[in-house]
Amino acid sequence: MVSTELPPLARAESVLELADFDEVVRLYRTRIFRFLMASLSDRDVAESLTQDCFLKAYNARHQFRGESSLSTWLTRIALNLVRDHLRSRRMRFWQRTRDTALDIVDVGEWIPDGASSPEQVCLQQERVREIWKSVERLSRQQRTVFLLRFVEEMELAEIAETTGMNTSTVKSHLYRALRIVRDRASGKSEGEQ
Amino acid sequence: MNTHPNQSRDALPPDEVMLEPAGQFAADLRNLRSAVHRAADRQTAQPVPFGWLKAAKRRQRTSQHRVVLAWSLATACAALFCIGSLPLLRHAAPPAAEQKVIDVQPVVIDDTALLEQIDNTVSESVPSSLAPLDSLDNWSSTTSTNTESSLNAPEKKNVAQ
Repeated sequence: MVSTELPPLARAESVLELADFDEVVRLYRTRIFRFLMASLSDRDVAESLTQDCFLKAYNARHQFRGESSLSTWLTRIALNLVRDHLRSRRMRFWQRTRDTALDIVDVGEWIPDGASSPEQVCLQQERVREIWKSVERLSRQQRTVFLLRFVEEMELAEIAETTGMNTSTVKSHLYRALRIVRDRASGKSEGEQ
Repeated sequence: MNTHPNQSRDALPPDEVMLEPAGQFAADLRNLRSAVHRAADRQTAQPVPFGWLKAAKRRQRTSQHRVVLAWSLATACAALFCIGSLPLLRHAAPPAAEQKVIDVQPVVIDDTALLEQIDNTVSESVPSSLAPLDSLDNWSSTTSTNTESSLNAPEKKNVAQ
């Protein structure tokens, strides 16, 4: 069973209770950057949107009433930024160059050294690359739910709160995303499902 | 039995099955998670530099300026369009209305000119087309005296008798 890795601070304190906003940035920067990088597959854009996310949070810090956790609130802001970015990227369809795209090889290379032999490491890397490729091809909502569940390790209720969907809708997206990723990674075509 | 074609396909399994993929796939997902976490950790390993949010502020300001510029441009274009289409609108007005405007305007004629015009009209000679009327007048005057005398003749006779 997966468990959330939120720092204890996130559950108890709100932005307003933190005297120094730098502390919020220090605690959640990696998490927000990771979600943005995985969602957009672009390091530079993820870095820019991470900055935008914290700036928006800082500007709207008085609106945060602590009804949800700080992490959920920040992730929701990041999710809106992803949606806006994808929409504007669709409008600027001529800008297709992704010089800073997160390479699938990069992701595959960062597998922890748990394998016993080089052959096993190569095999694991190959499988991770296939899964990453499959995740990149998911629809936006399926991808968001998949990443929040399996990369950010959020609970279904938390995902529902972050995305603004019903829990049943989250389950449905997650189920379909899992099935697509599993089938694609195992080499099945969509027609065989 | 009436079942929707997608019903069996979209039927969701219990949450436990859905949330915890088993076997090799679960291991692959764990590896993916570690790989993404490590890639992100490596990227954000450096401490947050001073003025880290300045770039975001600059971007925000630029985008605000861009929005203001876009609205100004749109307003200017709309104003130019309106100004440009004014002559067209004026030309496209219905002719009846124009005629009405012309009829309503009063005709101002100077008094002396009007008097001269009246004098000229009065002092004009009788046109040739009205000439037979003169003879008709003469004829009627002569005939009237003749008839008068013929009517008076029997009276005179009776008086004589």
